Amino acid sequence: MKIHSMMSVAAVALASASAGFAAEDSSEPIVIPIHNWSSQIVMSHVVGQIYEEMGNNVEFVTTDSQAVYESVRLGDVTLELEVWEGAFGASFREALEKGGLHDAGDHDAVTREDWWCPMWTKDACPGLPDWKALNDCAELFATPETGDKGLFLDGPVDWLKHGKERAEALDLNYVVKNAGSAAALWAHIASAEEDKTPILVFNWTPNFAEAVWPGEFVEFPAWEDGCDTDPAVGPNPDALYDCGNPADGYLKKAAWDGMEEKWPNAYEVLTKISFTNAQIAEMAKLVDVEDYEPEEAAEIWLEDNEDVWKGWLPGGDT
Amino acid sequence: MADVATNATRTSLSMRQPGATRDPVRVALLLAAILLCAAKPILPDFLVRLPEAWIPPLAQWLDAFFDFITGDMQEGRFGLIYITRWFAEGPLDFLLGVTANLLEGKYRWPYMADPIPWAAVAGLAAVIGYYLGGWKLSLLAGGTFVWTAFMGQWELTMQTLSVLLVAAPLGFFVGLIVGIAAWKYKWFDNAIKPLLAVMQTLPFYTYLLPAVIFFKVGPTAGAIATTIYATPPMILMTTVGLKKVSPEIVEAGKMSGASRWQMLTKVFIPSARTEILVGVNQVIMLCLAMVVLTAFIGMPGLGGKLLAMMNSLKLGRSFEIGITIVLVAITLDRLSKAWVRKLPEHHPKDTPFYIRYKYTVLSVVVFAGLYLLAQPIEILNEVGRRQSLSMGREIDGVFETFLNLDSVEAITGTIRYVLNVWVLIPFRDALLWIPTSAFILLVVAFAYGVGGKKPAIYAAIFFSIVAFSGWWDRSVITLYSVLSAMAISMMIGIPIGILAARSEKWSERMLLACDTAQTFPSFIYLLPAIMLFGITDTTVVLSIVIFTMVPLTRYTIEGLRSVPPELTEAADMAGCSRWQKLTSVQLPLAMPTMAVGFNQGIMFAFFMVIIAAFIGTQDLGQELQRTLAGTDLGKNFVLGINVSLMALTFDMAILSWANRRKKALGLD
Amino acid sequence: MTSDSPVISCRNAWKLFGPNPRQYLKSMPAGHSYEDIRADGYIAGVKDVSVEVAKGEMLVIMGLSGSGKSTLVRCFSRLHDITGGTIEVEGQDIMALPEKELIELRRSKMGMVFQSFGLLPHRTVLENVAFPLEMRGQDRHARRERALEVIKLVGLEGREEYFPRELSGGQQQRVGIARSLAIEPDIWFLDEPFSALDPLIRREMQDEFLRLQAMLGKTIVFITHDFDEALRLADRIAIMKDGAIEQCDTPDQIVLDPQTEYVRKFTEDIDKAHVVHASVLAKPVNGHAVEGDAIDGDRTIHQIARQLVSDPREHLPVAGKDGKVMGVMARQEALEVLLGDSANG
Repeated sequence: MKIHSMMSVAAVALASASAGFAAEDSSEPIVIPIHNWSSQIVMSHVVGQIYEEMGNNVEFVTTDSQAVYESVRLGDVTLELEVWEGAFGASFREALEKGGLHDAGDHDAVTREDWWCPMWTKDACPGLPDWKALNDCAELFATPETGDKGLFLDGPVDWLKHGKERAEALDLNYVVKNAGSAAALWAHIASAEEDKTPILVFNWTPNFAEAVWPGEFVEFPAWEDGCDTDPAVGPNPDALYDCGNPADGYLKKAAWDGMEEKWPNAYEVLTKISFTNAQIAEMAKLVDVEDYEPEEAAEIWLEDNEDVWKGWLPGGDT
Repeated sequence: MADVATNATRTSLSMRQPGATRDPVRVALLLAAILLCAAKPILPDFLVRLPEAWIPPLAQWLDAFFDFITGDMQEGRFGLIYITRWFAEGPLDFLLGVTANLLEGKYRWPYMADPIPWAAVAGLAAVIGYYLGGWKLSLLAGGTFVWTAFMGQWELTMQTLSVLLVAAPLGFFVGLIVGIAAWKYKWFDNAIKPLLAVMQTLPFYTYLLPAVIFFKVGPTAGAIATTIYATPPMILMTTVGLKKVSPEIVEAGKMSGASRWQMLTKVFIPSARTEILVGVNQVIMLCLAMVVLTAFIGMPGLGGKLLAMMNSLKLGRSFEIGITIVLVAITLDRLSKAWVRKLPEHHPKDTPFYIRYKYTVLSVVVFAGLYLLAQPIEILNEVGRRQSLSMGREIDGVFETFLNLDSVEAITGTIRYVLNVWVLIPFRDALLWIPTSAFILLVVAFAYGVGGKKPAIYAAIFFSIVAFSGWWDRSVITLYSVLSAMAISMMIGIPIGILAARSEKWSERMLLACDTAQTFPSFIYLLPAIMLFGITDTTVVLSIVIFTMVPLTRYTIEGLRSVPPELTEAADMAGCSRWQKLTSVQLPLAMPTMAVGFNQGIMFAFFMVIIAAFIGTQDLGQELQRTLAGTDLGKNFVLGINVSLMALTFDMAILSWANRRKKALGLD
Repeated sequence: MTSDSPVISCRNAWKLFGPNPRQYLKSMPAGHSYEDIRADGYIAGVKDVSVEVAKGEMLVIMGLSGSGKSTLVRCFSRLHDITGGTIEVEGQDIMALPEKELIELRRSKMGMVFQSFGLLPHRTVLENVAFPLEMRGQDRHARRERALEVIKLVGLEGREEYFPRELSGGQQQRVGIARSLAIEPDIWFLDEPFSALDPLIRREMQDEFLRLQAMLGKTIVFITHDFDEALRLADRIAIMKDGAIEQCDTPDQIVLDPQTEYVRKFTEDIDKAHVVHASVLAKPVNGHAVEGDAIDGDRTIHQIARQLVSDPREHLPVAGKDGKVMGVMARQEALEVLLGDSANG
């Protein structure tokens, strides 16, 4: 591995020399945030290792995935590699308005976050994934605590998923409960797995769970712009949140406004970076299924996908 | 003889509840509360729940206030943040950089290319362990680091320790200085006492957000939050220690012509060594607990990895990390406690220097030796991923098999159903049904009956503030989890304590188990709990129980074992049966100590109920967790204070009771 | 300053404990008793005390616990600030001294020994003894030299590296004594130095103390609650009760002529013959025939008992320190002291 890295450093050095860059990157470390899901961690290390091979100093900080935009805005953190439309769109836009960070382009990958059920649930409720089947199956999803209403386990409150509002807006006979963490969601799915208990939980893609528990998103009325701001949009004229989340949400990169000036080369690479759903799933799998440490997973991925990332390097596409 | 014992029995019985039942004030308070409940349908609304319009926008006021004192770097408005940011980016970042470079090899001054090899650290720990406490401690200290390395957790552990190495000394110095000031100036002492009380009951989430805002996300914020969290006991112990220095030693110092500074540095502080070191022990332990929890604001290290592991549902690896944390905690605890007990020893005259300083020499030799040895021998430097002995998958398998056992499922299913449907949810609904006014009266009646007038007045003030904060229902749900957990842990913890206290051997084993349970990072319990009991109140309450049982059991054992032997002997001679002896002699005498345990249990419960937000709750903890993602300092603070005020109400009432009882029984 | 002016001179000193002592003392009516003061919420630690200590003298302050003796000695060294009156040490009003000079005074002139030794637990014997020297900034080598010297003086050679907890009570107090002597103080305060010790050790330490005093000749204020000890050691004894001095006199006078009921009670059970010196009973020659060998005035009646019984003379000549006859002693009177005749008591 070491020899390999040295070789690529040499290659990069050669490449940059031939391209004859005028601007030099600052030697201060580029601060890359790390959150608490695997694909993001591996992706951060992949990009970090690319930067290191370019000769930059890189530092990783683990941060909260919502609070990070404030940090990027202030320059405490240099960039953010996974801006999910559904989960972080609001925080991202808020920070964007305050100023200090900007959109550094989309990944190829699309994201989706919505109500979800594992495959085994379909046996009990064949009407799924159409949302109209939900009320008929409500009792299947009931627990001792919810009586005859069904239980939908939503993401943590700080993800701002508006499950309760949607249940009300679409008149669903469900109790919406917030899990406290992603881990709580997984534990809930895992404990239902053995007995194939029907469950309805919040889930998203890409993540490791799809490899472990195959399942389907519930098909709600399709997302229309304004569904979250204008009651008239969507099937229920009096309510907000009466449609599903966007089925092809963006996955963006964001950068601190000062990055371009301070690390021009690294910035250029950042704007070119683009991962696909398959690549992201592979990164997650290396850690979550194959038990590699994120750093190792990043090295392996880089090794296996040289043709992908070499093209992003300065002068690489010339 | 028999007379004596029966007399003792009688007095202990009559003293058990000092004027508890017939106190007119208490009866009046209770009656009023019951009346208010009975009259709920016809009560004016404001007595049932305060109307929204009455609730002052505390959070906004606080936000405006914080905004003002914080200042804004982008607008160039001067404020606190300039100072804190300077500190975070200057000296603090430097110190963290140094430890991070030495332990993790991070690219900072002094720019050592490689971190210190694990073997050298483990060797040094073993020597220190041997110096402080002989072979056993040497084995524990050295063994912990060997385990860490071979489990493939070296870097994580060092990330945690590198912050601890900065935060703990910082907490020590701040605590020492503030403690000295509080000892020297009465007004200062009076001023910080309530502040410390609040700080010790404030949920840790409340430390985290301001730390991030003022000290920048990353290790600096983590170090600061950790320091703040760990400092209060250091302050208290310093003050206690300094006050305890014998007046003759003080006078001897003065008569030796010591100046004030000399008095402080050469007389007071060295003479208060024991208490100060106990403070150091507590600082280290709290730092370790907090440094793991700072994972929630993105601190790397054991806590961060643990959180990541849990988020991908790797129970086995989480469990291993938990063991590492326990080992590190117990090692640091035992080392610092041994340091408290360690007394200097003299060497006969003309001892050669390598014997006089044999431990220093040994440390240097072992450290340098292993350091050099590790250069050619890679395994001493770093245990690679593939060489590590992690059994994460195997443990996962064991967990899975256990959780899927039909009998386990049947039992947990029943417990879940009974507790949730018959006990917890009805109890919660009942508490939520009680009008706010009646609820406050009930709490006041409790505080009055247990603690007396002063705690009652505070209870009234504190709970009124909670009511006016606008978070009443969530506060009641928080309290409901705490009370339910306390009830269950009393039913389990106290009998265990009583049984264990019957023999020396079992007492010791149980106390060790308590230590372990207490240092095991609290959120590891949460995942298995969810898998067993689902995302329900049962899970929340039971995961609190695991934590609150510890002090109950511990103090039951300690209380029972501290009953003077002549009293139990008197009871034996009076022909008491075991049960009679327990109920009429031992338990009444152990009660004040047990009350301290009960109190600590409640404090733990308030701590844990916030962490239980990880499972999914509808209480203050959930809202607090939500604030972490934003910049709502004001709301964060209001929520935190609510938790703190409720905890303090119990704290004051119970401690006041325990102190009165101790005095009445002549135990202090 | 001349050599015969007192080293410590204390005039109408008051030490009141309470919320606002200075003001209270000013407004307090004269002749208020200890009880009156207590009823007003104050404790009179030292109540209108006037006493002087001459150079080279050993003044023993005697009293039961709570009588104010420890408070008084702490006023002498200004460990306590007095509420009223003046205390002068070598002619300097110590209440007027700024902190710096006070510290200087303690560093150069005063030494003190404490009842529970007051040793610093984290320092070795050597370091404890060298402590006052360290405080005044002496260099390491010089203070080690001096400390070893004093340690040798108190007989603790070879234990320099021990820690206080490794020593017996008697040895610990030797360390306390050595420490107090390290700076070669002119004034030596000893606050019940032997009370915490076993009776046998106490006796041994008293002898040791007398040996040291014979060698060093310090000005000493010694506190004790043990009357025997006071009698054994003192040049003069001041007996205190409720903060005030009941009587301040030589042991002989106290025994022979107690001035208050309280003092008399103390002297009741004392074998006076062990205390009273011949010289005290000696009266001017005034016409009595001086014949035969003179008795040494420094000897106690007990010591000359055999001679008293057998000597036929009615009046025995007594010799002073210079060996010359200073007066004569009536044999009858001496015998009455010897036999403990209460008429003389």
